[in-house]
Amino acid sequence: MMGQRRRAGPKGSLSNRTPDGIAVGIQGSPKHSICMVSDFFYPNMGGVESHIYQLSQCLIERGHKVIIVTHAYGNRKGVRYLTNGLKVYYLPLQVMYNQSTVTTCFHSLPLLRCVFVRERITIVHAHSSFSAMGHDSLFHAKTMGLNTVFTDHSLFGFADVSSVLTNKLLTVSLCDTSHIICVSYTSKENTVLRATLDPQIVSVIPNAVDPTDFTPDPSQRDDTKITIVVVSRLVYRKGIDLLGGIIPELCLKYPDLQFVIGGEGPKRIVLEEVREKYQLHDRVRLLGALEHKDVRNVLIQGHIFLNTSLTEAFCMAIVEGASCGLQVVSTRVGGIPEVLPEELITLCEPTVSSLCQGLEMVIARQRSGTVLPPATIHSRVQTLYTWRNVAERTEKVYDRVAKEVVLPLDGRLGRLRAHCGHVAGSIFAFVAVLDFLFLLLLQWFVPDSVIDVAVNASGPRGLWGKAGARKTKPSANCHKDTGTG
Amino acid sequence: MFRRDWTGRNPVSKCIIGSLVMGADSDPGAPSAVPWRKVLYERQPFPDNYVDRRFLEELRRNVGVRRYRYWPVVREAGLVTQQLSCVAAFLTLWWYMYQGQLYPFTLLLAGLLCALLGYGLYEALGGPRTEGRTRLADLQSAAIFLAFTFGFSPVLKTLTESVSTDTVYAMSALMLLAHLVTFPYAQPSPPGSLSLNAALFGSVCLASRLPGALHTFAMVTCALLVFALWPCLLHRLRDRAPRGFPWAAALVSLGGIGGLASQSPGGAVLLALAQLALTLLCPLLLLWLQEHKDNIHGPWDEAEIHEDLSRFLQ
Repeated sequence: MMGQRRRAGPKGSLSNRTPDGIAVGIQGSPKHSICMVSDFFYPNMGGVESHIYQLSQCLIERGHKVIIVTHAYGNRKGVRYLTNGLKVYYLPLQVMYNQSTVTTCFHSLPLLRCVFVRERITIVHAHSSFSAMGHDSLFHAKTMGLNTVFTDHSLFGFADVSSVLTNKLLTVSLCDTSHIICVSYTSKENTVLRATLDPQIVSVIPNAVDPTDFTPDPSQRDDTKITIVVVSRLVYRKGIDLLGGIIPELCLKYPDLQFVIGGEGPKRIVLEEVREKYQLHDRVRLLGALEHKDVRNVLIQGHIFLNTSLTEAFCMAIVEGASCGLQVVSTRVGGIPEVLPEELITLCEPTVSSLCQGLEMVIARQRSGTVLPPATIHSRVQTLYTWRNVAERTEKVYDRVAKEVVLPLDGRLGRLRAHCGHVAGSIFAFVAVLDFLFLLLLQWFVPDSVIDVAVNASGPRGLWGKAGARKTKPSANCHKDTGTG
Repeated sequence: MFRRDWTGRNPVSKCIIGSLVMGADSDPGAPSAVPWRKVLYERQPFPDNYVDRRFLEELRRNVGVRRYRYWPVVREAGLVTQQLSCVAAFLTLWWYMYQGQLYPFTLLLAGLLCALLGYGLYEALGGPRTEGRTRLADLQSAAIFLAFTFGFSPVLKTLTESVSTDTVYAMSALMLLAHLVTFPYAQPSPPGSLSLNAALFGSVCLASRLPGALHTFAMVTCALLVFALWPCLLHRLRDRAPRGFPWAAALVSLGGIGGLASQSPGGAVLLALAQLALTLLCPLLLLWLQEHKDNIHGPWDEAEIHEDLSRFLQ
């Protein structure tokens, strides 16, 4: 297979142009060629997107070659370069639902193989269990003999039909993936159960926030009032219904209380109804969708940050809130209790009464002035979660994975059938065989040696920023667009 | 489904784990002086893939799972059985009408008698009455309904004339099946709109194949008695006279089988077998499957909102 063959050293004209599968950097630690794959990337915005962007930037900084593969977003298709030579492939794959692509297990192989071969990828790193493209890429990468890593960003239940099906697919997808990364311990437990994994091949590496993006500025807040800030998508899973109960309850009790709510979604109507019914137009401000760069400007207007999520794997929002020096009040769900130390967060049960109680406690403390000053909170938080740390720990996973042998086809079939049950295992073993035959066919049509090797922008021999000519080429606005991730 | 031994991987994976363990910084089982804590905000002296003894300690199994007992389940299954018999009884009556062995007047008289008896029983059982609803109002709606059905019965009679008889039969079969499937067995009063509509649509289809307009009228009235009013009475019976309910269900079931036997003994045997399986075997199956239930819960579950939050909007 390709991986083994390439380790043996590519033949022909390529051998003098490309380094071996794993290049060794100046410090002696191996440098990898990493391909991040996910359906979710800029211009889509969210936790997964910024995670991929920031992690890639930090890995490039550490000397690795990183490219990102996602599907085309409207007019944004083809190859784009972002800051520091981060190359993004926007592949023309059909989007099905919620920005996730259609999967047939096969149709993406020609394109993905082309990318993997052109870029001399050694590790394929897929993100988010909702991303069909991520699972596809894992499947093909294993067929091609590449090492695979998967990061799970979300929690899933076990009770309903849809989760039973998706969990089965996850089992199939992860049973021969080399290593899995989860963003919190709760998320690890969840993933291990969902995909019946060995917990020792699952690492916990939390998300991070850029502390320089979220600095406190107490002068921006109105200290004659107490402001509660909520920044979240207005959807059921974020507990907006609870918020709709908290607002009237507290506004009636505290005349100097006001709410600032950033975000958009189908549950906006609930908040609007509450505002209408209790005549709170001057005290509940609905800002609508926020751009990432505006989030900080909203956060620093508040004294208290409120998170009412019903489920959350990590919750970057509360870290951002705390980083801006706010008192954080949150529901005790998912991985949230792991994220902030006790003195920086007030945890409540996901009920209106419990959340109100927690908020009242914090309001009383705020009034009496016994809360930590924003600057102190910021300095506590800023060192907790940094992208550099995330990249360092992810690099360790890559180093470990690069040493492992990718299961050959027969081993893979055995694993599938032993691990995923007789029916699903056999079906997907058959699919794996077909995928392998399809790969052979593609290799016969267009041998790897014929495929051009891409110029490295990042990585040990990255040309980004070295020649003056290359600097003008990439689209300049990308940098600005994704500057904040 | 969750397999209990997640460590039970095949030898290949064990090799991989073995090589992992040998890694310089990645001994997941290394003992340490400091106890591991399930927090992310502290740098802990453990590798990222460390698995503590407390891993999955918050896992809960089968929270709030109900343990069923056989006879109560059988009792509840009686509701399904009798509904099946109701459909069989209705079809038998239709068949008698179709053959001309039953006169519409007889059916109407019997229907009236049953309705009066049922109404009396319903009242006698007591229970909550809809606010502001008097007997006069009940009589009024019955009169309006009868008048309209009677007035429209010639229309109903000719409604499906242009449709082939096979199609009409297939459609009614489908509709009666839909009625059985969508019938709200958990709360049979009032019968769910989908289920009731399906049943009435099926009966109108069948009634339109009868020889006269009066036949059609009698048949539709009968359908209303069987599919709309009887479930209400049965529900009240279940609520107010739990002891009487199994007997009523059994009586209806036997009635359906008996009626069918007078026309088609083979069909009656099949119906009886189906009902036996439904009442006696299916509960057994449920109980047996219930033992295999392995529901897992933990901190990753989405929190449920139990409060009634609409009170803030009223």
